[in-house]
Amino acid sequence: MADDAARRTAIAAAHDADISLISDELPLRANLSVLENIAIVPQYRENLAYEVAADQAWALLVRLGRTDCAFKRDPDLTSEERFVAKLLRAVIRAPSIIIIDRPALLLPDCHYPPRVQATLDALDDKINECWIVDYPWNEPLYAPR
Amino acid sequence: MPAMDSLIDLLTRRGAALLAWLRGWRRLGRFGATAIVEALTPATYNSATRSVVQKQIYFTAWQILPGFTLFAAVLSYVLIQIVVDTARDYGLAQHALEMSVRILVLEILPLLTALFVGLRSGAAINTEVALMIVHNEMKALEETGVDPMRFEFIPRVIGGVISVVALTAVASALALVLAYVAVYGFQFFSLPEFNRVVGNVFDPPAIALLWAKVFAFGLAVTVIPISEGLAAPADKLFFVPISVLRGMVRLFFVLMLVEVISLALKYI
Amino acid sequence: MERAPVRAPLIKNLEFKVGLLLVLTLVLAAGFLLYTMYARGAFERTQRLILVTENAEGVQSGMAMTYAGFPIGRVKRLDLADDGEVRVEMAIPVKDARWLRQSSVFTLEKSLVGGARIRAFTNQPDDPILEDGAERPLLTGDAAAEIPEIMAQVQDILANVKAMTQADSSINQSLVHVKTVTERMAGEHGVLGGVLGSPENAGKVIQAVDRSNALLASLNDVSHKADGMLGKADQRVFGPDGVMDEVQKSVTQINAILADVRDSLKKADAILANGEAISADVKAATTDIAVLRAEVDDSLTKVNHLINEINRKWPFAREVEVKLP
Repeated sequence: MADDAARRTAIAAAHDADISLISDELPLRANLSVLENIAIVPQYRENLAYEVAADQAWALLVRLGRTDCAFKRDPDLTSEERFVAKLLRAVIRAPSIIIIDRPALLLPDCHYPPRVQATLDALDDKINECWIVDYPWNEPLYAPR
Repeated sequence: MPAMDSLIDLLTRRGAALLAWLRGWRRLGRFGATAIVEALTPATYNSATRSVVQKQIYFTAWQILPGFTLFAAVLSYVLIQIVVDTARDYGLAQHALEMSVRILVLEILPLLTALFVGLRSGAAINTEVALMIVHNEMKALEETGVDPMRFEFIPRVIGGVISVVALTAVASALALVLAYVAVYGFQFFSLPEFNRVVGNVFDPPAIALLWAKVFAFGLAVTVIPISEGLAAPADKLFFVPISVLRGMVRLFFVLMLVEVISLALKYI
Repeated sequence: MERAPVRAPLIKNLEFKVGLLLVLTLVLAAGFLLYTMYARGAFERTQRLILVTENAEGVQSGMAMTYAGFPIGRVKRLDLADDGEVRVEMAIPVKDARWLRQSSVFTLEKSLVGGARIRAFTNQPDDPILEDGAERPLLTGDAAAEIPEIMAQVQDILANVKAMTQADSSINQSLVHVKTVTERMAGEHGVLGGVLGSPENAGKVIQAVDRSNALLASLNDVSHKADGMLGKADQRVFGPDGVMDEVQKSVTQINAILADVRDSLKKADAILANGEAISADVKAATTDIAVLRAEVDDSLTKVNHLINEINRKWPFAREVEVKLP
């Protein structure tokens, strides 16, 4: 990606119904816990009972080993936990494309590309396609493909 | 001419303020209409929205039920006593019951409930919606495929209406019992007389009007704060208090308007 | 799949509590609706009663009919029949229908203040019970029907008063005679001349007093009759109607004035008795007679005023003038 304008063009497609965007600008619902934030999606979209939806969300959290944050709310989360919650909220909907916008903002203060990659690998069978949108000056951070 | 310029400037600003005010009402009307239509659409109700409705009813009605019931009972009893004593002093004792039932059940208790719920839950809803807008949570919900209108707002309107109806019903039923006790004492022989007076007060038009009024109150205490909260601009945290202030003023105005209209319909 | 842990939820028994509140509200709302319907008599077995009247002004659907002050039925609907009469259909709860008998009378009363009232009266509680769907006339508070009778009585009284006060009436003659006697007593013949010169006059005085006493008795009788009749009228068909009230007031006034007249007559009686006994105090006697005449005059003015008022209120175009000669 060249600059901010290009980035915006890239994520503009995310308004398509079948694309989920994960961004620093799109927070979790503040009055719900992480588990509820994830479970609400199948609850709303597929009219699943809370217990069933919560089981699905729990299973995803177990995979990533993040069950300890399941009942925390947004302000109590570390940025890594917050990123996981946002990612799972997108994953549980099973969209065709997931776009992660500027992971540096979501995972500050760390060498984020490996962490993002590790998380995505753990959810490999649940994700159809995932794009990471980042600035070209961050390219050296990513492992060569 | 500087004087002319300042006058034009003033008029422009006044006009803009008026337009903004009118836009507020239009937005309010549109949201209210949407809310009613959505509430009557079965597709609105799913596992997620139901849980929001339940929570809204829990926070708005169940939590305050004991305190509110006690408060309404004390107020009702005091008012009934005042009416009964005054009526006796003026030799109008036979009208005391009818009058206390009229002022309490038809007028004061619905309005009191609406004000209580409006001050408590209305203010809370207004703040929360404004914060949601400011923090961009609306967009985030949309992004995950959840319609915030159906998920967050409509259930609150439904819950608010049900809460106001429930609280009014409980308070009114209690007031009727208290009115009986205050006028006739602890005995059952005067029930036919009581029935006659109550039957006289609550003819079908009066019941219909009461229902319509309570329903309008329930809509007002949620629709207005939500609509006002939705008008908050994104990312402007300082706007939240202004939004709540405007919402409360508008809510108070509408509640009084509904009350005046109902009185006018009944007595004119 | 691993299950989400059952964690104590934020709100205990949320669904139960909300459900309870909803059920409570529904029960209250439905119960209230049913209760008001019951209170309005929707579930009571009722029987029909049709009241026929010429003018049902002031009668509204839902209005109650009272018996002895207790509501025992309400107006269901009003129809204007082809013959121009109004048919008021009443719904009488079966449990209250026992108060209504075949001979019951139904009245519609309109007062100046407050609305119209339908009242039922049962004079003979032994009569058979009124049947379902009965048709009865609804008597309106037509006070004019009884007014002529009352007025006839009043006219009698007035005629008596008039006769009493005519120039040639015995009482006046008596007074003239008394005057003559006292003049004579005051004149050259003195008291003795008064006594000796008027044996036949003295007889006339006694006669006049007798007659005025008889008149008093008849006046009393009439006024009692008027009182009784008014009482009866009030109790029965012609209740506190605006017009009727006026009649009662007038008759009360008549009674008061008659009492005045009576008092005056009593005084005359006493003075005449004095004259008969030929009091030594002649001067006092003449003064008394002057006072008496003034009093009679005053009473007559009152009677005149009353007659005018009655004439103004009802078109009994009859010149009734009472004058003291």
